[in-house]
Amino acid sequence: MRDILRELARFARRNTLSAAGGLVGMAIIFVALAAPLLAPRDPLKADFRRMNKPPDAQSLLGTDQVGRDTLSRVIYGARTSLFVAFSAVVLGTTVGSLWGVACGYLRGRFDLYSQRVMEILQSFPDLILAMAISMAIGTGLQAVIFAIAVTRIPFGGRVIRSVALSVREMPYVEAGRASGASALRVMTFHVLPQCVAPYLVLATTHLGAAIVIEAALGFLGVGVPPPTPTWGNMLADSITALVPPWWLAFFPGLAITVTVLAFNLLGDGIRDTLDPRLSPAFLRMMAGGRRA
Amino acid sequence: MKKYLARRAVYAVVTLLGVSLSIFVILRILPGDPLVAILGVEGHARMMPADRVRIMADLGLSDPLPVQYVRWLRDIAVGRLGKSFFRGDTVADLISHRGPISAEIGVLALVVSWLVGLPVGILSAFKPNSLPDGVARMLSILFIAIPGFWLGMLIVLASLFWFGYKTPIIIVHAWEAPWQNLQIVIGPAVVLGLAQGAYIARMSRSCLLEVISEDFVRTARAKGLREGVVVMRHALPNALLPVITISGVLLGFVLGGSVAVEQAFGVPGLGRALVIAVIERDIIVVQNLVLLYAVIFVVVNVLVDLSYAWLDPRIRYS
Repeated sequence: MRDILRELARFARRNTLSAAGGLVGMAIIFVALAAPLLAPRDPLKADFRRMNKPPDAQSLLGTDQVGRDTLSRVIYGARTSLFVAFSAVVLGTTVGSLWGVACGYLRGRFDLYSQRVMEILQSFPDLILAMAISMAIGTGLQAVIFAIAVTRIPFGGRVIRSVALSVREMPYVEAGRASGASALRVMTFHVLPQCVAPYLVLATTHLGAAIVIEAALGFLGVGVPPPTPTWGNMLADSITALVPPWWLAFFPGLAITVTVLAFNLLGDGIRDTLDPRLSPAFLRMMAGGRRA
Repeated sequence: MKKYLARRAVYAVVTLLGVSLSIFVILRILPGDPLVAILGVEGHARMMPADRVRIMADLGLSDPLPVQYVRWLRDIAVGRLGKSFFRGDTVADLISHRGPISAEIGVLALVVSWLVGLPVGILSAFKPNSLPDGVARMLSILFIAIPGFWLGMLIVLASLFWFGYKTPIIIVHAWEAPWQNLQIVIGPAVVLGLAQGAYIARMSRSCLLEVISEDFVRTARAKGLREGVVVMRHALPNALLPVITISGVLLGFVLGGSVAVEQAFGVPGLGRALVIAVIERDIIVVQNLVLLYAVIFVVVNVLVDLSYAWLDPRIRYS
């Protein structure tokens, strides 16, 4: 336990910004979990005596067109946004990583075809692919999660594949193979553990992107359906007014920005610490793909 | 070079075939009955079976799926892209009418990103860890995190309050009224450009710093060249290659982001058309527009690869 604390302290000293990002991120996660305790009002309850009120003592961030409390909606919005983003990133990165391990370890035809499939997935701009998928399988929480997850698969696939490619050449893996372990066994017990660090890095660095895609889908009216409060839905609601009240347009967006900023900073720090292979230079190489 | 070009072109065509096939699979097979996708479950249930059959036949949706797919590809080849279910305008009209605005936004965004990103990156790399470098890095972290559509909303709101700005309702092409056209496209282009500019600043800074520590730069300095000449003439051209590559990747952000940013600014571009089609479940329109976006993305990335190979001959032999 003390070792972990010491490590964390060292991380915080070296990456002050990332540590700050981590703290803010944890605070936001806490807000999301404790939403029912923290929100001053019911986020869905309309109050027609208090419509379109600017921020005041009764409702700190104002109220919307039907008198719902903006602060409560932003707090509950954190729930939906984080839940969708976390689930999508975990699902997409996990599927991508397992696929990547299989590609990197098995190589050959399977790898070749898989690479083509991932290339096809990466030929769509993220948001557009997510829109098309969620349209096809119907809007709803699961549909949005699934749609965003699909856009994360090729990233996991490519990065983890390259890790697996180098791990498979190591002597201990060869020893495992030589002692008669099946491919599945070698992949699970010898290759997979090496992929945990890059997996964590990938997952954190993609959280921000997932949050933005979720918000954009909500903003465009194809995300998690109303009345569920999400930051994107709130922004979409706000521009239906002829002259949108500034507090309705400002606070949900601020929540998105702060959250994305926090997770991006945390991701950068974790990347630099855990896995130097995923430094900007390496990622650039992956993005460019064909640089020798 | 010719061989490399041919290889890249073949790859691109194969990828695009795969792209078209996956769009087709996503939009036709996943929802089951396409009429359910268009009308929703309730609307579909309320319809007479005979009507269903007639509409399916009218839309060419009652043929076997492989036939439909091949026909779609053939139609694309001859430039016949089908019609919207709800509006009767053809997809080709939609693209030729709304496309130019979105293309302008995309190109301008790319120009803005380079005009802003590169100088900032160079300035940062000149004096790493100085105050201006710190400010530049903070700003780029911030601009990467801010969602473009929110920034766009805020800009529109602010201009509503202070300048009485009105969102454009009609499309004004650059060749009709350049000044009005610029007013429509400049907002989305700057918002999208700043976010990409932040990536370019980051990338050019780190690449320049990497190159500056190399031997030939030390030689240039040892010759007694001024620091400005060393960086601009010797280091920069070598550092630019990866930045060019990232520009191709960033185009994906611009294409996807422009859909949301157009919505925020109320620009009647192609992105808006796609969003409307998705909400109305107009699958013929969605299928063609999604393919168009993917084609642009793939083609530009091939061009980026080619320019890369042209600038750095070592690539071709790998």
